[in-house]
Amino acid sequence: MEENKEIADLGYGDATLLWMLKYHRCVECLVGVDIAAQPFEWGGGRLSPGVGGFIIPRELDLTITLYRGSVVQKDSRLRGFDLITCIELIEHLDSEDLAKFPEVVFGYFSPGMVVISTPNSEFNPLFPASTFRNPDHRFEWDRKQFQTWALDVGKLYSYSVEFTGVGDPPAGAEHVGYCTQIGVFQKNIAKATGSSISEPEEHVYEVVSILREAATRVYRTSYPSLQQRKYFRFTLSIEAVKAIDLMKSRFLRGLRKKEGDRVVPLGSCTPQHGLTEAQRAEIEQSPKPYSVGENFYVPLERLIIYPKVNHLVAGNVEKLRTVLAEGLRLNQDQTAVRVELVDYNTQRLFDEHLVSPALES
Amino acid sequence: MSGRARVRARGMARSPSAAEAGRTSAPPLPPSVDIGNNEASSTGGFVGTSRMSQKCKYSLSSGNARCTFIERGGKIRRDFMDLAVCIREKLAHVRDCKRGSSGVPVKLVTNLFRLDLPQDWRLYQYHVAYAPDLESRRLRIALLYSHRELSNKAKAFDGVILFLSQKLEQKVTELSGETPRGETVKITVTLTRELPASSPVCTQVFNIIFRKILKKLAMYQIGRNFYKPSEPVEIPRHKLSLWPGFAISVSQFESSLLFTADVSYKILRNETVLEFMTSIHQETDISCFTQTCEKQLLGLIVLTRYNNKTYRIDDIDWSVKPTHTFQKRDGTEITYVDYYKQQYDITLSDLNQPVLVSLLKSKRNDNTEARVAHLIPELCFLTGLTRQATSDFQLMKAVAEETRLSPLGRQQCLARLADDIQRNKDARFELETWGLHFGCQMSLTGRVLPSEKILMQDHVCQPVSAAEWSKDMRNCKILSARSLTKWLIVCSHRDENVTEDFLHCLRRVGSAMGFNVDYPKIIKVQENPAAFLSVLQKHVDPHVQLVMCILPSNQKSYYDCIKKYLSSVWPVPSQCVLARTLTRQGIMMSTATKIAMQMACKLGGELWAVEIPLKSLMVVGIDVCKDEFSKGMVVVGFVASINPGITRWFSRCILQRTTTDVADCLKVFMTGALNRWYKQNHALPARIIVYRDGVGDGQLKTLIEYEVPQLLSSVTEASSNTSTKLSVIVVRKKCLLRFFTELNRSVQNPPLGTVVDSEATRPEWYDFYLISQTASRGTVTPTHYNVIYDDNGLKPDHMQRLTFKLCHVYYNWPGLISIPAPCQYAHKLTFLVAQSIHKEPSLELANSLFYL
Repeated sequence: MEENKEIADLGYGDATLLWMLKYHRCVECLVGVDIAAQPFEWGGGRLSPGVGGFIIPRELDLTITLYRGSVVQKDSRLRGFDLITCIELIEHLDSEDLAKFPEVVFGYFSPGMVVISTPNSEFNPLFPASTFRNPDHRFEWDRKQFQTWALDVGKLYSYSVEFTGVGDPPAGAEHVGYCTQIGVFQKNIAKATGSSISEPEEHVYEVVSILREAATRVYRTSYPSLQQRKYFRFTLSIEAVKAIDLMKSRFLRGLRKKEGDRVVPLGSCTPQHGLTEAQRAEIEQSPKPYSVGENFYVPLERLIIYPKVNHLVAGNVEKLRTVLAEGLRLNQDQTAVRVELVDYNTQRLFDEHLVSPALES
Repeated sequence: MSGRARVRARGMARSPSAAEAGRTSAPPLPPSVDIGNNEASSTGGFVGTSRMSQKCKYSLSSGNARCTFIERGGKIRRDFMDLAVCIREKLAHVRDCKRGSSGVPVKLVTNLFRLDLPQDWRLYQYHVAYAPDLESRRLRIALLYSHRELSNKAKAFDGVILFLSQKLEQKVTELSGETPRGETVKITVTLTRELPASSPVCTQVFNIIFRKILKKLAMYQIGRNFYKPSEPVEIPRHKLSLWPGFAISVSQFESSLLFTADVSYKILRNETVLEFMTSIHQETDISCFTQTCEKQLLGLIVLTRYNNKTYRIDDIDWSVKPTHTFQKRDGTEITYVDYYKQQYDITLSDLNQPVLVSLLKSKRNDNTEARVAHLIPELCFLTGLTRQATSDFQLMKAVAEETRLSPLGRQQCLARLADDIQRNKDARFELETWGLHFGCQMSLTGRVLPSEKILMQDHVCQPVSAAEWSKDMRNCKILSARSLTKWLIVCSHRDENVTEDFLHCLRRVGSAMGFNVDYPKIIKVQENPAAFLSVLQKHVDPHVQLVMCILPSNQKSYYDCIKKYLSSVWPVPSQCVLARTLTRQGIMMSTATKIAMQMACKLGGELWAVEIPLKSLMVVGIDVCKDEFSKGMVVVGFVASINPGITRWFSRCILQRTTTDVADCLKVFMTGALNRWYKQNHALPARIIVYRDGVGDGQLKTLIEYEVPQLLSSVTEASSNTSTKLSVIVVRKKCLLRFFTELNRSVQNPPLGTVVDSEATRPEWYDFYLISQTASRGTVTPTHYNVIYDDNGLKPDHMQRLTFKLCHVYYNWPGLISIPAPCQYAHKLTFLVAQSIHKEPSLELANSLFYL
């Protein structure tokens, strides 16, 4: 799963699989194709980014596109994906389409991986009705039929196949196998690059000549992500402010002393939560925050040790400086972030009794 | 009691039918229940219709003319219920005309847009039956929509009732469809009725259509409004983002069907509940951590980032951790950590966080168990502002700067929305298929009422600006004041000097306005609420006229304990002043003037008056407000004038359960006020006008059926010989409507005293809008007045002018305010009780404005 950036689901139906896939962080492009895709009937509600998607943008871009079209039509927009899934699809294809299917999916689309699931007819006697599971099914294969078909296809287009399934049979009927059988096809890269003769080449040849767009687009959405400047800037600013607020509240509640025009904490202002021992130690080593008059300053070098901030800029102080300068206020030499030093509870500025009573005596 | 048990207990208290829930000990609801089956509802369900309830089915078959469409979440749109309450037809004097006459006409632009329909437009309502019956709404819709007869028609369908703008050929249409499981289903579509455009049902269908259109303009529905997340206003230093959007409504106005849109902002906080708890943990003592968390968080609305749903936090279960397991719908057990990893690819960072508990609203009012959802704080975002945030001046300023749109800014947003609706292909298609034409922004003519003179003790002043006349009043004596001879000041040691300075100032401004202030006894205390309280207990005796407390900080506990003690335990008027306001040098005089006036009022003084042409008129203000701490309690405030000049007031307040009728105590209060009036004036008032504020959507009928009779019975019992006449007016500060005046190709707020009593009003009501306040920045919101009972039979013009006059006599502000003074007094009183006292104030204080 981790490496699949581009995934297409053929025959996506009610889009449940797409919906589940959209949560995976690595996915950047999701495409669904269905012959019965309805524009606007459900508005893509489940697939749209939603309010949460804007508050916490994804790390990587994600676009989701739905097409109405046949899965046995060649469409250049589906070529070269990392994964194509066909969940309970092939049994709906008539013999003519089924014959075209391998050529289009394996030969033309030629993804890194294909997952095909279909009913296992050996399981059917366990159901009350002994016909097909759905009247639209053109066939239901037993394990041998499916595996033969799959192995032939794999051989032809140089994919290695593994078989699995879902839906364990009940006790005593173990011999029938899974309720649904699944074939996982992995593209055999060595073979494809090594001696790429025979069938696939013809197809490649055919593609280059024309850009095929057989399907009609019915829905498209792009997710906000940290790849986009405005979301990145806002997210980083927010994480910085959160870290600064924690420091500020410790600063206000701890002991302080005056050093020139600065007031510095006696303690380290390290938050108690959400840090490992190592991070805590590193923070304590870094330059301390301080206040001057009504302002509180947090050095960028300290800020960058906070895990979430660090992760966002990948440890790059320069990047932190440039981005924060756009959303927050920095001090004059651009080494620290400046915020107002006010306490919610009293609304009094702390300059009134900056030096803690304990230190006066 | 564990957190969960507490929630159950609350659930039981709310609905007796849920009583079983506690005992059967339903397992905590797996989050999956809300993720899997109705995730789509978060964005408004499927596009096509809104939901209608089962109830709908019944009210239809019984031929009920007011079919109740049900909004998202199963709520009836209550403002539509109010529109069905026809009041005007019962009021003979306004049946033909409810317009006033005085003042200068003014042309106003509104935020209303015309919606035109062909003359013979009809809405066709069909009942759709499936044989065999289908449970799934999604399936019902899918099967019906797949038919060619319907595919190109404008339609709204909820699974039972189908609305079309074009009639089908036959009265009964038989269709058939096939489910994915291969069952053949017979679908019978039967015409039940034809509705004219003016029908309330049509109004609701139009609202559905516009909700659909706004979604097509890439807006997200949150609550009832629509927001654009793609153009947020970001305020990173306060961890906030504001989403611009609109509140919209389509309804029947005085003469036509109109679309209303007002700009609205959604405040979203980029802070999780876990982060919020962490900051509380840092700032508070560990012993009161859980308590503080509950105090700050319970009742807040959170948004879950994974499924975009909003939940109310009803409780926090500190005993459940993310490593605990729950039962999924398929019966398997899984830990929260694993669940979120598998389902959403989310890794929880804090395995010690508790879980938030939310009671789920039951969709049907049947006897199903009250269900709860467990939410992980790390995945929940706060929406709206916490009390801590609202007390942050800097934050509120930043928010106000962004959200307080000028009339011009607002007008531009509206123009853009109208443009988007007209240009967007899908939106246009939707409107066209329904036969709707989205027209232009509407203008109308209002009137600016003549300005009022302010009567002082020996001087009549015509303020330069009615918005604020403190300058005009300088060196004028107030109408009457008792001298303050025996009083106390309590302050902290640190604030002794500022207190002395302030006292000096106070005495000087006091004598200038004719309010004699003697030197008080000053008591210095430690800086903590308990110290203040113990001083009060020791030093306040029956001779003390007033206590002033100089508060060292705006920590609520100071104010609360002082007010509680001096309002109910030992009733003495009190004045709290924040030390910080006294340190600001430049404004010392104006601060002292303001405080001197407040103190004079608290001692029963009268500041100023306006001319009241009616010789024996009592005005009453009623407000209702929720108690901050005890849920299910409301505070009802009642303030009545007790002299013909409308300068002296009688104030009562009570706490009562929400379950009892809106304001049960009104009869007692009214009788009390009449007695007081009789004592003062030796006769009963000839007329009483009641201004009722704090009315929620959908309560109009209740008001007419329960509150008006209470007031009436009190009045008729008191005045067996004479006949005191009563009018009741519902006051609403919140309304979608906005008015602008055009000036040099720009738009501005209308002048003070602008009245609108045509076109933007409702045909069923005797109502008008009045703008009686200025908005120095931002757009002014007109106040809506709806006369729901009227024995007085005053001309509409007189009613409007009287209302305007009453907006001048709120003694806490030398200027016009947005609502009549009695309402504002009642509001101030209920607010004090709901926020600080939580008890009925002593009756001894009823004759002074002790709550100012």
